[in-house]
Amino acid sequence: MATQVHDAPPAGAPSYVGSRVLRTEDPKFLTGAARYTDDVHLPGMLHAAFLRSPHAHARATAIDASRATALPGVVGVYTEADLAGLVAPLTTLFERPEVGTITRPPLDSTTAHYVGQALAVVVAESRYVAEDALEEIEVEYELLPVVMDPEKALEAGSPVLRPELGSNNYAHIEFQRGDVERLFAEADHVFRKRLDHGRHMAAPLETRGVVADYRAATGELTMWSSTQLPHYLRTVLSGLLGMAENKIRVIAEDVGGGFGLKAIVFDEEAIVPALARLLARPVKWIEDRYEHLAASVHAKDQICEIEAALTSDGRILAFRGRHVGINGAWPGHPWTSLVDPLCAAMLMPSIYDIEAVGFTVDSPLTNRAPIGPYRGIGWTAGQATMQLLLDDAAAALGMDPTELRLKNAIPDAPFVSATGMSYDGGSYSASIHKLLEMVDLPAFRGRQAELREQGRYIGIGISPYIEPTGWGAELSRIQGFPWEFFDSASVTVEPDGSVIVTTGMQSHGQSHETTFAQVAADALGVRFEDVRVMQGDTALAVYGNGTYASRSAVIGGACIMRAGAEVKEKLVEMAAHAMEVGVGDVEMAEGEARVRGVPGKRMSLREIAGFAYYGGTRRPPDVEPSLTATRSYDPPQTYANGTFAAIVEVDAGTGKVTIEEIVCCEDCGRMLNPMVVDGQVHGAVAQGIGGVLYEEIAYDDETGQLLTGTLVDYLYPSTVEVPPMRISHIETPSVVTEGGIKGAGECGTIAAGPAVLSAITDALTPFGRIEITKTPLRPGDILDLMDAARR
Amino acid sequence: MTTSTRADVSEAQRPVTLRVNGRAMTALAEPRMLLSDFLRHELELTGTHVGCEHGVCGACTVRMDGDIVRSCIVFAVQAEGAELETIEGLAAPGELHPIQQAFREHHALQCGFCTPGMVLAVQTLLEQNPDPSEQEAREYLAGNICRCTGYVGIVDAVLAAARALRSTTPAEEVA
Repeated sequence: MATQVHDAPPAGAPSYVGSRVLRTEDPKFLTGAARYTDDVHLPGMLHAAFLRSPHAHARATAIDASRATALPGVVGVYTEADLAGLVAPLTTLFERPEVGTITRPPLDSTTAHYVGQALAVVVAESRYVAEDALEEIEVEYELLPVVMDPEKALEAGSPVLRPELGSNNYAHIEFQRGDVERLFAEADHVFRKRLDHGRHMAAPLETRGVVADYRAATGELTMWSSTQLPHYLRTVLSGLLGMAENKIRVIAEDVGGGFGLKAIVFDEEAIVPALARLLARPVKWIEDRYEHLAASVHAKDQICEIEAALTSDGRILAFRGRHVGINGAWPGHPWTSLVDPLCAAMLMPSIYDIEAVGFTVDSPLTNRAPIGPYRGIGWTAGQATMQLLLDDAAAALGMDPTELRLKNAIPDAPFVSATGMSYDGGSYSASIHKLLEMVDLPAFRGRQAELREQGRYIGIGISPYIEPTGWGAELSRIQGFPWEFFDSASVTVEPDGSVIVTTGMQSHGQSHETTFAQVAADALGVRFEDVRVMQGDTALAVYGNGTYASRSAVIGGACIMRAGAEVKEKLVEMAAHAMEVGVGDVEMAEGEARVRGVPGKRMSLREIAGFAYYGGTRRPPDVEPSLTATRSYDPPQTYANGTFAAIVEVDAGTGKVTIEEIVCCEDCGRMLNPMVVDGQVHGAVAQGIGGVLYEEIAYDDETGQLLTGTLVDYLYPSTVEVPPMRISHIETPSVVTEGGIKGAGECGTIAAGPAVLSAITDALTPFGRIEITKTPLRPGDILDLMDAARR
Repeated sequence: MTTSTRADVSEAQRPVTLRVNGRAMTALAEPRMLLSDFLRHELELTGTHVGCEHGVCGACTVRMDGDIVRSCIVFAVQAEGAELETIEGLAAPGELHPIQQAFREHHALQCGFCTPGMVLAVQTLLEQNPDPSEQEAREYLAGNICRCTGYVGIVDAVLAAARALRSTTPAEEVA
């Protein structure tokens, strides 16, 4: 697609876009009237519970369910063989020669590849009875060698988990642009940083869940699922279940958070409808929290090793990276484990003007749960490693860390990065300057010195970031994912003048019912309150890829602008004909057609719509009745940017870190609703803090046992851990997307955590320079780092 | 729901009678049935959500005899004779309680899953402490996890709701 430049609307034009419009969807959530998957109750509904492996790697040589099936209320116990012919094997195909292809049954009853993997499923009259039956199933296991250490997994001689791959490496990718070797050889300084970034996960508050209802008489499947991508799930299910897409309806009316985790097609989403079809009764499965922690998908488990070649005056010449994404037993579908290491590697140049970059990416299979996308994907670990590396470099060169970054920052204009990514203009330096004003660095340094006198240690970390947003085909391909993306929206003015927007995107907290209505109201020139957004149901909404990767504002916004413009054109045509004026004399505003220069000559949207649908021969002769349009959009590459600061205090006696404040200057281009953008930043920051200080999915290194199977072990940050935040905005409209929208949502998870790591380092400077090598950092880890620095 | 013949009642089930949002209700529950499941699936009050089933996340928070409990770690039979309040009873249909209004005005919710439990916890906080400091509000709500908002809007909403409720509370009650 040709690149086009779009201007922001003229100053002073009335616009819902850009306003802090309160959310339309709030009352249903506030009053308990929302409908999540577990709120669906169907007559005759049965309940499923999965038998999950207690072993990390074992062959199930015998499964005896005779006592389980004898329990009153148990309908049956089903294994892989029972589903043969009902669910096809799932193939995860990544069309690059460096990446393996894995095909496996959605329910594997012969081999457990990680703790929590489903081996069988019970269906019963109630969930309580289904869980009773799980206790009665007897499985004979033959334990197999467990592969946990990712680097040993890559060595020759390691047990191979998927023989079809020939090794444990799911992917080996090499990339180089520019003369990396020469620049490193000629550099005055080479700095190196390795960070073992901890495995954690999105863990939305609503777990996964499926309700499937198959009507044999019509051959139709209706399925409720807590998913971020209803239409894409339908497409995959069509193949797995052998059903036409027009016979499958996927509904995700309200979804209690996703953060990328639910942008996956899960095995249970194929198994449960297959059971409903087999049993000719509706079946519900609601994941419990143990299942969620053990057997959904984890994220961001990476070894990042980055080297930087610098001149003695602080100019960065090149980066070289080794990115290892620690896979589970197989890739999450469809994204695969490469969402972490490959995306981290491609974004290494970040906002820096360097001459060359090279990297390797590997993804060793281990006996852990699969990896899936989680807000910020691999960029989080990449940002954290780069943050610590550049801090080290600045310290060694005697430079202020922010000065080093500003010295190497690209201009605040469109720029092609060293890896070939086309940034669409931003405030790469301006956001750093604005942030420095917000934190008043000199005053902070004064307070820091005073407190140190009292034995208190505060520190600041400043972390500028760039964030690929608006995930379309071009962005996907440039990051190494050779797939197609787009989305669609329909805009319809109904006969009474009310407006319905449908989209295949799916809001699970993103506020689409509000923000998309703002866009539609502006595009049509109608009142916000007259627009209703319908989504989360493949039977109601036009096809789309779904909501993830900060894409909905950019892509959904553009689809609605395009479709809205088409419908508006028709409205104007109808109104001009009815009022007997020229088309050029009519403008739509606030839900009426007005004749320019003739005050009082106007026609309401209701009148125009009535005329369009039921005007008969009075309509313009060559114009079709009805007022509807469907349009699609696949954006060029677009990138948000900004800078975070974290201010922390470290208790030198206990190692406890308290975050005083997070400060942010962000630039996501033209904002649809600043209130919603702020909310996205706030939530992402909390998750970023969780990742560096609290949240960790831990396994026993030897046995592969999951050590964090409850929320007593897996620690969500609460109101007392997440600090107050201050956010400012710079709006640099994208020069390539419709309306200049860039998209927002992940920056806090990418850059707030790394800012905290820097701030901890800064706070502890009086004890020597601490060397952070892993996340998360618990109080004991901090004390260890201080001990090491003192030595 | 309130009438059953003996034949319908399995040996383990027993009627549980309680008041929910001011209405007397009776339904059958096995002794092991969680109050959260009883509310959601027997009484069809699905505004109470279940996030962890082990009493950590706070999504299932309801009020029992005026204080907050986690309904996922209370058995339904323990609520026999109790006065329960759930999110469905906080405001009249089509209306918002001042706390709900403050949540809306301060963008204190995104996906909405934690919201009912959070709102009921806030209601109880403000009954016990009508003028909390930010720190007091944060400490009281530390048992209710929100994965979406970073708590920024929630804390703002609590302080705003406290102001709104104080301004509408008769002076003698404040005293």
